[in-house]
Amino acid sequence: MSHSQRSDIFLLDAERTTWHDETLWFVRQKRDKAVYATPEFQELRQLASDIKDHTLSRLDFYLQQFEENARRNGVQVHWAADAHEHNQIVLSLLKQHNATRVVKSKSMLTEECHLNPYLIKHGVDVIDTDLGERIIQLRDEAPSHVVLPAIHLKKEDVGDTFHLHLGTEKGNNDPQQLTETARQHLREKFLASEVAISGVNFAVAETGSVVVCTNEGNADLGVNLAKVHIACMGMEKLIPRLSDLSVFTRILTRSATGQPITTYTSHFSKPAEGKEMHVVIVDNGRTKQLGRPDFRASLKCIRCGACMNTCPVYRRSGGHSYDFTIPGPIGAILSPNIDMRKHASLPFASTLCGSCTDVCPVKIDIHTQLYKWRQVLGQAGEIPASKKWSMRLLSRVLAKPAVYGLGSKIARQSLRLLPHGLTHGKGYNPWAVARELPEPPKQSFREWYAQQAVK
Amino acid sequence: MSSSREKILAAVRANQPDELPLPTVPSFEGDESVEKFTSIVQGIGGTVVDVLDATRLPEVIHQLFPADYRIASPLLPEANVPIDAQTSIEVLAAVDLAVLQGEFGVAENGSIWVPEANMLHRALPMITQHLALVLDRRNLVATMHQAYARVPSVGGYGTFLAGPSKTADIEQSLVIGAHGARSTVVLLV
Repeated sequence: MSHSQRSDIFLLDAERTTWHDETLWFVRQKRDKAVYATPEFQELRQLASDIKDHTLSRLDFYLQQFEENARRNGVQVHWAADAHEHNQIVLSLLKQHNATRVVKSKSMLTEECHLNPYLIKHGVDVIDTDLGERIIQLRDEAPSHVVLPAIHLKKEDVGDTFHLHLGTEKGNNDPQQLTETARQHLREKFLASEVAISGVNFAVAETGSVVVCTNEGNADLGVNLAKVHIACMGMEKLIPRLSDLSVFTRILTRSATGQPITTYTSHFSKPAEGKEMHVVIVDNGRTKQLGRPDFRASLKCIRCGACMNTCPVYRRSGGHSYDFTIPGPIGAILSPNIDMRKHASLPFASTLCGSCTDVCPVKIDIHTQLYKWRQVLGQAGEIPASKKWSMRLLSRVLAKPAVYGLGSKIARQSLRLLPHGLTHGKGYNPWAVARELPEPPKQSFREWYAQQAVK
Repeated sequence: MSSSREKILAAVRANQPDELPLPTVPSFEGDESVEKFTSIVQGIGGTVVDVLDATRLPEVIHQLFPADYRIASPLLPEANVPIDAQTSIEVLAAVDLAVLQGEFGVAENGSIWVPEANMLHRALPMITQHLALVLDRRNLVATMHQAYARVPSVGGYGTFLAGPSKTADIEQSLVIGAHGARSTVVLLV
């Protein structure tokens, strides 16, 4: 299925679509308020972009510097070329400790690697502890947003899910009470878990630390109670200096939710006494993207979700319509690198309005990359036949003024004479599904202009 | 495993672009007043209480929290739950209130730097039902730039802690008290 076909499913519920659209726009407005209240925000964006550009240009150095400093801190560093190796490393660490009870805080990387199903298959009880992630884990769904994983659900859905799995009263849809239920339920898991897995927001090369940002405190609670901490990171999470965090902590949450900072911005550098800390550095296609000059800037992403909140297509099609771990505009430029054929429709899920680029806190030229992916996909023959042939026909017509003139004359006449059902046929004119074609003018501009010249 | 390391580093070397400059980050200044800090803390769901004199701390804690609370703190003689890095999870889970020292506050976002050395146990600031952070009013900085300049080393573990634990994962409704402390009060001395 293409993005537009999956969007059709989301759009069946018009009321929910409207709610989704308006809620995300509200988050975008909160972002604006926070951004406008920070006078140097545009300078911070430039600094963040420059720091990331520099880091990517010396990534081999910073990866090794990070590894060396982390090892000096008593942290064990592992390298995974792909998702499978990442999952194997995590499982082997769990086996070393005979651990079957694991809590995991938010990590888009482990989603990308499909770690949960892998661990469950091997008998590990892995529990997502971020509330939104836990909700979708109970429902056996994927996150639909990088920051707001359950934004596609209404409180009634959550109430039903908790009734089914956590024994809350049927019809209890109160967010306060549902959150309290989740707190009690997950506290048991926190207290009993042997290993805690976390994601990584930033990895600081000069100190060998990983930084994890949450509002709920689930990463800190899990990690600080368990015997073993496994932090999983994509290799692009590196930043050179501790002081660079001042830039990134100032832009991350302001861009994401409009908060000035997350409740917990935690720096994990050394394991607590008698405990273990591991960092798994994952490539999984990132070095390939690094080698694509047009697309490497996508590796600067700090996963704030601002491009999703602002995107008119994402807001009205939902995260699941992208069928990729990272949805929205940024997902649409990351996914073709992973599997061009499977995700061929995603770079077309955009109006190229550029709003994503305008809000991106690290200045990724998202809409330009969307446009460039379309060229790559076209050349690779990965666009649908209807689009390919109609574009080929159009380019011939537009190249010859006489053919164009004749064509538009026929079109004007046909629009006037043919029955509405034929010109607005849903099967072959998707443009007209929700729109009316304009009233055809009596003459074209060129005909009118020719008349003026005679006068 | 090490073969993946070599493979990845070789691919990075082959694919990374020519070196681009690393910018110097200026120290953006701003408002570092108690008023600014207080209004931001309140905006993120925390409270600020002016204790004025550190000797009044026990009295203020007594006023703010019920007398039968199980309290963990290196700062109060009234603390009745002894905690150290080896304390069992069961004991930690029963703490109602932790009163800990904050190193300095950041006015632009209401966060307070709490290093491991101030925590008794790394999990205490999160596992406690309620958290009180004692902060010297002279130790306020304006922005994160001055904040990181003040952190000589992040040590083994440390966190910028801003207000109570919260979530908005159910229909974007803000709920205070997700997994960490249900309330965070800043006690200014």
